[in-house]
Amino acid sequence: MTKLSKIGALVAAGGLALGIGVTSVAAETMYTPNMSYRTGPFAATGIPLMNGQRDYVNMLNARDGGVGGVMVDFEECETGYNTNKGVECYEKTKANAIVTQPWSTGITLQVLPRTNVDRIPILAPGYGFSPMSDGNTFAWAFNPPVSYWDGASMIMNFISDGDMNSLKGQKIALLHLDHPFGKEPLPLLEQYAEEYDFELVPIPVGLKEMQNQSAQWLQIRRERPDWVVMWGWGAMNAGALTEAVKTRFPMDKFVGVWWSGSDDDLIPLGEKAKGYKSISWNVPGDYPVIDAIKEHVVDAGNSMVEEPADMDKVFYQRGVVMSMFLVEGIKAAQEHFDVGAVNAEQLRWGLENLNITDELLEELGMAGMTAPFQTSCSNHTGHGGAWMLEWDGEKFVKASDLLKPDRASIEPLEKEKAAEYAENNAPWPGRDGLPCE
Amino acid sequence: MLYRTSGQFKTTYESDQALFPVKQDALLLGVILLAAYVVFPLTASEFTFKALLVPVLIYSLAAMGLNILTGYAGQLSLGTAGFMGVGAYACYKLTTIFPEMNVVVALALSGFFSAAVGVAFGLPSLRIKGFYLAIATLASQFFLVWLFEKWAWLYNYNASGAIEVRTMEFFGIVITGPTATPVTQYYFVLAVVTIIAFAMINLTRGRYGRMWKAVRDMDIAAELVGINLMRAKLTAFAVSSYVVGIAGALLVFFWKGAAEPNLFDIPLSFQILFIAIIGGLGSIIGNFLGAILLVALPVILNVLPDTLGLTINSATMEHVNDMIVGALIITFLIVEPHGLARFWALIREKLIIWPYPH
Repeated sequence: MTKLSKIGALVAAGGLALGIGVTSVAAETMYTPNMSYRTGPFAATGIPLMNGQRDYVNMLNARDGGVGGVMVDFEECETGYNTNKGVECYEKTKANAIVTQPWSTGITLQVLPRTNVDRIPILAPGYGFSPMSDGNTFAWAFNPPVSYWDGASMIMNFISDGDMNSLKGQKIALLHLDHPFGKEPLPLLEQYAEEYDFELVPIPVGLKEMQNQSAQWLQIRRERPDWVVMWGWGAMNAGALTEAVKTRFPMDKFVGVWWSGSDDDLIPLGEKAKGYKSISWNVPGDYPVIDAIKEHVVDAGNSMVEEPADMDKVFYQRGVVMSMFLVEGIKAAQEHFDVGAVNAEQLRWGLENLNITDELLEELGMAGMTAPFQTSCSNHTGHGGAWMLEWDGEKFVKASDLLKPDRASIEPLEKEKAAEYAENNAPWPGRDGLPCE
Repeated sequence: MLYRTSGQFKTTYESDQALFPVKQDALLLGVILLAAYVVFPLTASEFTFKALLVPVLIYSLAAMGLNILTGYAGQLSLGTAGFMGVGAYACYKLTTIFPEMNVVVALALSGFFSAAVGVAFGLPSLRIKGFYLAIATLASQFFLVWLFEKWAWLYNYNASGAIEVRTMEFFGIVITGPTATPVTQYYFVLAVVTIIAFAMINLTRGRYGRMWKAVRDMDIAAELVGINLMRAKLTAFAVSSYVVGIAGALLVFFWKGAAEPNLFDIPLSFQILFIAIIGGLGSIIGNFLGAILLVALPVILNVLPDTLGLTINSATMEHVNDMIVGALIITFLIVEPHGLARFWALIREKLIIWPYPH
């Protein structure tokens, strides 16, 4: 290698880098990238969800020729749940994307301030952080259909049988991932503990201890809590469930958040995990929409699911519901602005004016699959509600009526934390003159 | 021919000891600096700044800090990410406690916090060496990440446990936060890296650099010729942690904009160590070469199929990417076990005598 070619190589590397960045997209498609993680430590839980998201959009493309006659380009950008890759994916896709689906609390935090400047809506169904519900502060962020605080409220509602005062004197352990996501329910639960006079025992599980939770379960055995509530993700769920079975913790006193209810974590435990509950904003079952996906995507060989049975699982179907929110946002925007291919700003309006009704769900072949809700300028979550699912030894079945969050106790907290975030990130633009229609 | 050194006579000791005794070296550096300061900013896209240029510079700086300790002073450390975290959290606390403080001042001061922590964790190096020291620094790594998670004061009791960067100005120009343009942030990072790199090159050529190298090569001999081992090792820890701390603060403030404690976990330490090793221990230029290979190359490989018009599933590409980068690392280390810096040195040697090798 000569000196010149050495310099040449350097310059070429630079030049190559300079030319990249903007992927060209044909005029009449809508680019809705998804920051997936099919690799890395969280891949096992990510894959079913991302398959569901992808297949629903591809089904619409194959069956209806897209949404409103415009094809949707649902491309994935692999992050491996790594926040550095998150920056890379966001920068790579933002030029043409009409939405950002960050898929991790860490990436959401990084991307959130940028989306105000780049004017791209964030869609984080069932994740992100709870104060995002306050649309007047977080104009560009959406987390339908329920937030983590809604989830915590609904779980407490369920375990107290609707009467929170009955929790008095009880002991409730919160087994949570020691990470922004796992700490999310703490402010609300602490408030409840004080208000209703029960004892809250937070038991953190470090990212390195996810698979070996013997210390945590020893503590649970010692504390003898009346309930264990779990805020887990990835390998932590399987670890906790295995350990619970091993230490013979009564499974019917063990409740998880919606990310702790993957069939794949429970199938190996089978009968032994019977009675374990997980709150969920989608009910698994046979729906016409799943049949349509099977016909148009899976049977056509365009899906990444390994076997059709995977389509009956809670997480796959949740992915389908997530993409439904996105598509309904697009439809709302198309109707309102009377355009085919909506842009990011129009989609923001669409997501702010989502109206998921029972009739609509029926029409989509998703009747009863998720709860109806409506978003608005001040309400970017919708707070539709969720159901408690119970593991019957083979699959998850619905174990409660629709639960609703106690909004009266959550809303002040949301406002407070949203204001705090705006202050920490001052000057925060807020709605920045976006009209509320 | 191009690199011919004949005719460049050294008539004074000063010129013989100059930073660039060979004219072409200075010229080459000039070309690189010109590219970095003029060509890239004029041509690069936002993606290039955010995903390639800025991270390469920041990782190079962190590796440079580690190289002072491991490459020059011979003290193996696995705690780099923890010290980066100290710098980042210190800068965060300084800018929130004293909102009027200029971010440059905060940045410069935050290095002192990581230097202090580095010296504290460097104390075991007076007794233990080699792999045993690596284990001791590993302890600092675990302890610091644990501290970032548990000490809520560090992240101002933020509900999400993360630190977020507000918008700050430097003489009227917005340089941090979402409204800062990538090119401003790039220039800022570039300026910091240039200044520190220049300081480090001189430092390693001077009294302290020689002291460190003597300790690295044989500490007993160094002690016998009158080098104070404690002073040599602890200054290496201090200087190294200072640079690493600044790199950590830059990482959060000028690149990511928000950070969770586990960002500073052990994988980052390893990545920095690999950059330093593959780039070449005991060299400054190696850190940049290593960062280009380990930070920029994967990004370039990721976007390559798109640019060429191929559609490959993103996850598949990620796997392919890992394989390619892994294979390249092994190839480079087989071809030149002393790292890319040595590789470049060999090329340069050959060029000097080319085309008449005898």
